[in-house]
Amino acid sequence: MAVSAINSSHEAVHARYESVDSLYRETRDIRLLGFVLFLVSDVVLFSMFIFAYLYLRNSVPNWPPITKAGQLPRFDVAFACINSCVLFGSGATMHAAMESWKHLNKAAFNLWMIATIVLGIGFLSGQAYEYQHVPVTWTGSTMGASFFTLTGMHGFHVFVGVIYLITLYVQANRGVYTGSKYFGLTAGTLYWHFVDVIWVALFYLFYLM
Amino acid sequence: MSVAAIHPGAVDHHDHIHPEPTTFIGKYIFSLDAKVIGIQYMITGLLFFIISGLLAEVVRIQLLRPEGGFVSNDTYNGVYSLHASGMIWMTIIPLMTGGFGNFVMPLMIGARDVAFPWLNLLSFWIFPPAGVILFSSFLVGAPDAGWTEYPPISVQGPPGTSLWCIAIFLIGISSTMTGLNFMVTIMKMRAPGMTFTRMPLFVWAQLATALLNMVATVALSAALGALFIERTFGVPFYDPGRGGSPLLWQHMFWFYSHPAVYIMILPAFGFVSEIFPTFARKPIFGYKMIAFSSIAIALLGFMVWAHHMFTSGMAPWLQLPFMILTMIIAVPTGIKIFSWLATLWGGMIEFHPAMLFALGFIVVFTFGGITGIFLSAVPVDLHLHGTYFIPAHIHYVLFGGSIFGIFAAVYYWWPKITGRLMNAQLGVWHFWLTFVSFNVTFLPMHWLGILGMPRRVAQYRPEFQFWNDVASIGSFVLAASTLLLLYNMANSLIRGKKSPPNPWNARTLEWQISSPPPYYNFKTIPAVLKNPYDFGEPLPYIGLDPSDKEDHHHPPTPPAATHAPGHA
Repeated sequence: MAVSAINSSHEAVHARYESVDSLYRETRDIRLLGFVLFLVSDVVLFSMFIFAYLYLRNSVPNWPPITKAGQLPRFDVAFACINSCVLFGSGATMHAAMESWKHLNKAAFNLWMIATIVLGIGFLSGQAYEYQHVPVTWTGSTMGASFFTLTGMHGFHVFVGVIYLITLYVQANRGVYTGSKYFGLTAGTLYWHFVDVIWVALFYLFYLM
Repeated sequence: MSVAAIHPGAVDHHDHIHPEPTTFIGKYIFSLDAKVIGIQYMITGLLFFIISGLLAEVVRIQLLRPEGGFVSNDTYNGVYSLHASGMIWMTIIPLMTGGFGNFVMPLMIGARDVAFPWLNLLSFWIFPPAGVILFSSFLVGAPDAGWTEYPPISVQGPPGTSLWCIAIFLIGISSTMTGLNFMVTIMKMRAPGMTFTRMPLFVWAQLATALLNMVATVALSAALGALFIERTFGVPFYDPGRGGSPLLWQHMFWFYSHPAVYIMILPAFGFVSEIFPTFARKPIFGYKMIAFSSIAIALLGFMVWAHHMFTSGMAPWLQLPFMILTMIIAVPTGIKIFSWLATLWGGMIEFHPAMLFALGFIVVFTFGGITGIFLSAVPVDLHLHGTYFIPAHIHYVLFGGSIFGIFAAVYYWWPKITGRLMNAQLGVWHFWLTFVSFNVTFLPMHWLGILGMPRRVAQYRPEFQFWNDVASIGSFVLAASTLLLLYNMANSLIRGKKSPPNPWNARTLEWQISSPPPYYNFKTIPAVLKNPYDFGEPLPYIGLDPSDKEDHHHPPTPPAATHAPGHA
């Protein structure tokens, strides 16, 4: 959304100044720093809930808390592994899409973007399936509270990311970005990798630890 | 670097500015201009300041008699909870960063606006609804666990507690966005030649505050989010009956709220760092030490939160490191205080109201800082925790520090903001009335605390009545003295003399252009050669358009296209 506004103001400035490239670099640097700082604050948000999870986990003698049926809750690690691979794979395809764009290969860019979006939707579907089969509930125990809050927050980020990537795909095909000016794509790639990295932490915390 | 190489007025991001709005709504309501947004913050903050101040008066009327009886106990719980919440989140933080930060900071660094004007607009427009939601919680049962809202009381608290969560969450988001915005603005949009060590100290203070706002406030949002879903959906985080931990809230809350006290004091450090050299006509002493100590305070502020929890049953071996780290914060703070004293030493001091409030700030803030050192010592804290000593300490640093700082800033930047002068004599009266009644109000609270009067009580034992009455009478005078400021502001707006561009002969950039500054701030962006505190020397700026000081403005003409783009 901001991209088109910035583009039109670029045109206005272009009418006045010879070199619009240096202006683009200036504003790109500003927006890049802003976006990175936004991701930093998002990391803090996840870190606080991760801290809460570890704190609650360590403040009781028995973990995980036993469910009402007298069972220890066990997560399906094998399924989570597959689903994680789907998400990590989407990170790889996103990287490939970005590289294709930089090499001016628009056909490959489109292909890799669609692959990323499909994998992202695939991960979300996997999460939806898992939510119906995990042995804990959101309100039932502190474990469920942490699990659903953290993975839910992450899932929401993936959901927003999928919408974001679809928007970028449409914009790229409408000619919003050029071979040298593609800040929106850079930001989208950063965001998508950020979502991947958060999942690494969550996967370890809930399935391996 | 040679002077010519700096290219004042060269093509750069400063020319990347939104066009000046022409409609009333675009100019005054949904303005993108940081100066207008700053004024909007100030007006809204002043409104919430008055509401929160009246709530404080309700507390003091209730405590006139040991048996209370002015309001019901439940109402009283809501009154002190909302007094603190309103003062901290709706008054001090928005006024200092949103208000003065937005108006002054871009001017000081020679920028035309903040980095993300739309984000700035959004930050502001979250603020008034948040305040309305906060105070409307009275209608459904106000939050009754104090501004810290410790669970499990807050988990079981009245419905207003959820509104409190929403309001503070919103204002937290607003602060985070402002912090991010200011961070990028200060890092990327300074005038050519303004290196970090040439920035005014106010900008350093805003940078440290922005760091805290960006990182710490998100922790509060997380804690509030968890509290909200626990109250609304029954998700167990804090309720010990369901495996949760009340201590978890305290950790998360204080991980924000201790840095928050620096969010509320660092900008005040910035205000007085500008005011002292200007009214003592001397270079600031220890520029770099003052600048770096702001960052040191911000970083240390993240490592001391658990000193609020010495009596909460936290692991004993953790007490010692938190106590020592807390005491270490006194070092950078002391560096600032002594640097200011050295700045004043031998200066030609002019006792303008801004200067008086800055001097008063040093006196009462140092006093509050010293009681803070008392409280950081575990044995003393075990005795004083939960007594009236705590409100005494917090009011010495938050009223004597932050609000005195804001008053000083109001007197200092008023001519720049409004283009009119205030009545200085009335300001002097305002200062002395405030200073005396402030001490009459809050000094006895130390004694009450040491004698053992608990805080947050609606009734108390009769032997505490005398000092409570003294504090209450002091607080009535304190409220009345604030009316002097309001009258002075209104009088200045209606009948005040027009202000010259630089009534104090100050040297920072915002004083080198007309009062109030034009929409685009500077016709040409100046280049900066030195930090702005060398009184007696020529101004360290080149490329300022002399007509910037005139009242009638014409938009900047674009520089010739032959200029090399980019800036130093």
